[in-house]
Amino acid sequence: MSDTKAPSVPSMTRWRRVYYLIPVIALIIPFIANEYLLWVVNAILVYTLVTVGFNLIIGNLGQLAFANTAFFGIGAYTTAILMVYFDIPYALAIVASAIVGGIAGFLASVTALRGIRLYYLAIITLAFGELMRWVYLHGDKVTDGSDGLLLPKASFFWLPLDSEAPKFYVFLLLTVLVVKATSNLMRSKIGRAIVSIRDNEAATASLGIYTARYIVLAFVWSGSVVGIAGAMFAVLTERVLPEAFGLTEVIIHFGMVLVGGAGSIVGSVLGAIALTTLPEYFRQFPGMDELFFGIIIVLVLLFLPKGLVSLLCRISPVFNERYYRD
Amino acid sequence: MEPLLKLQDVSVNFAGLRALANVTFNAHGGEVRAVIGPNGAGKTTLFNAISGYVPASGGAIHFKGDPIHGLAPHDISVKGVRRTFQNGGLFPELTALENVLAGLHVHIEGSFLGIVFGSKEAREAEREGIAKARRLLDLMDLGAIADQPVKDLSGGQQRMVEIVRTLAMDPPLLLLDEPVVGLSPPMRDRMMEIIRRLAGEEGIGIMLIEHVIDLVMSGSDVIVVLSSGELIAEGTPEEVRQNREVLEAYLGHV
Repeated sequence: MSDTKAPSVPSMTRWRRVYYLIPVIALIIPFIANEYLLWVVNAILVYTLVTVGFNLIIGNLGQLAFANTAFFGIGAYTTAILMVYFDIPYALAIVASAIVGGIAGFLASVTALRGIRLYYLAIITLAFGELMRWVYLHGDKVTDGSDGLLLPKASFFWLPLDSEAPKFYVFLLLTVLVVKATSNLMRSKIGRAIVSIRDNEAATASLGIYTARYIVLAFVWSGSVVGIAGAMFAVLTERVLPEAFGLTEVIIHFGMVLVGGAGSIVGSVLGAIALTTLPEYFRQFPGMDELFFGIIIVLVLLFLPKGLVSLLCRISPVFNERYYRD
Repeated sequence: MEPLLKLQDVSVNFAGLRALANVTFNAHGGEVRAVIGPNGAGKTTLFNAISGYVPASGGAIHFKGDPIHGLAPHDISVKGVRRTFQNGGLFPELTALENVLAGLHVHIEGSFLGIVFGSKEAREAEREGIAKARRLLDLMDLGAIADQPVKDLSGGQQRMVEIVRTLAMDPPLLLLDEPVVGLSPPMRDRMMEIIRRLAGEEGIGIMLIEHVIDLVMSGSDVIVVLSSGELIAEGTPEEVRQNREVLEAYLGHV
């Protein structure tokens, strides 16, 4: 019927294989970086998952839900409590953090399902985060309150996590697995359903898609991913403190999503890299560091409203987030 | 012949306001049925009631003999009633291909774990879906724009993509809410030709809301006229054209 031929589109899957090189090349970092730099790289890995999980809700599902620090703190405290009080191995504690984070995600999704959206969802989820911080502070019999919960030395299976290098390898493995799984999820019927809900929820239902199921799924997945990030954060800092999960932290997470690029997994990684390294760099200007941090966010959003990933998209369309896998 | 869609005394109330009052008619496969009437007559409310977006406060709606009133929109869609939206129901950030793939959602197999771990079965199902979506777009001469975000397409192309998306699952019944609004006259004719072909060749039952009376008169088999929520006439274009009540309520003012 038609003689129109589609222009040849580069196979996304083939080009995306380039991404696999990144973690392989990263394996040499412990050999060239000092302990401090390695700590910063580990923090980037933690915040990569924080941002990937948050971006799923903000960028892909399009919901203004700010329960991310709650998921992060819940993940960190789950690992800390299980390791301190129950002597649970770190690998199991990570799984537990993912599960408890997922449950927290489910609870957050209930508000969205009940039709609470936009600013109302924003304020309710922010309150959820602050409520959790209150729990960490006042549940001091378990959490040690504002002193924070000091973690015992952790091991990942047989590998003792007594310095930054072994932590790096474990964090890299976790980050690669979770990012890959999230990418598989997004480039499938599930990812399309999630993004369709963002673009037009009524029309999504008209295609036979049970939207409530995908709203819950997105929140649970986001909670699990950020819960795992929390489990990593607990071992990175070795002491879990309530202050780490306050309102400033929400702003940092939100900044990472927007600076990297809302709705983009590559953007999440870029946002985590940018907003983890820059504050570390600005530490040399005490008193001015927060100002610089704010200015960077404003400048990026003014000149790159679609985030750092839009720079890559100008170079090649393969960096555009796509929701299918050929 | 068993009607495809059977409406029996369907009423819809909005906070005491009667938007639809005891509407009764049968729609059949292979038939183009236009719904016309002045603004506020209840045309879109009728579509919303059939597709489950607003609850009917009275009456019954049967599709292929099964009751569908009270079901959620996605359940009604899965049963085979698909619709388009007056203000465009596309996903603007997604490409034409991804929009059609979303239309194939139910058709594409794949368990949650299979998708997360990238299992062979899940990837095969995805590839089959992509091949089908590209084939459907090609059929409507949309192959060349398959990989463009729909927000970058012209109004006519967007309408076509929306039609392709609703057709992806071979639905027995299509509800088209103003399918030619905003289209140029040649595009309108082409859209009506496609609609006629879908009904004539594929046997799909089509209901459409339309304000362009010429198109309605030349392109539909049956016309249903609503006024203030009530069905005031039903019949062939010729019958409706000569109906005094219709002339007074609607056509006379065109």
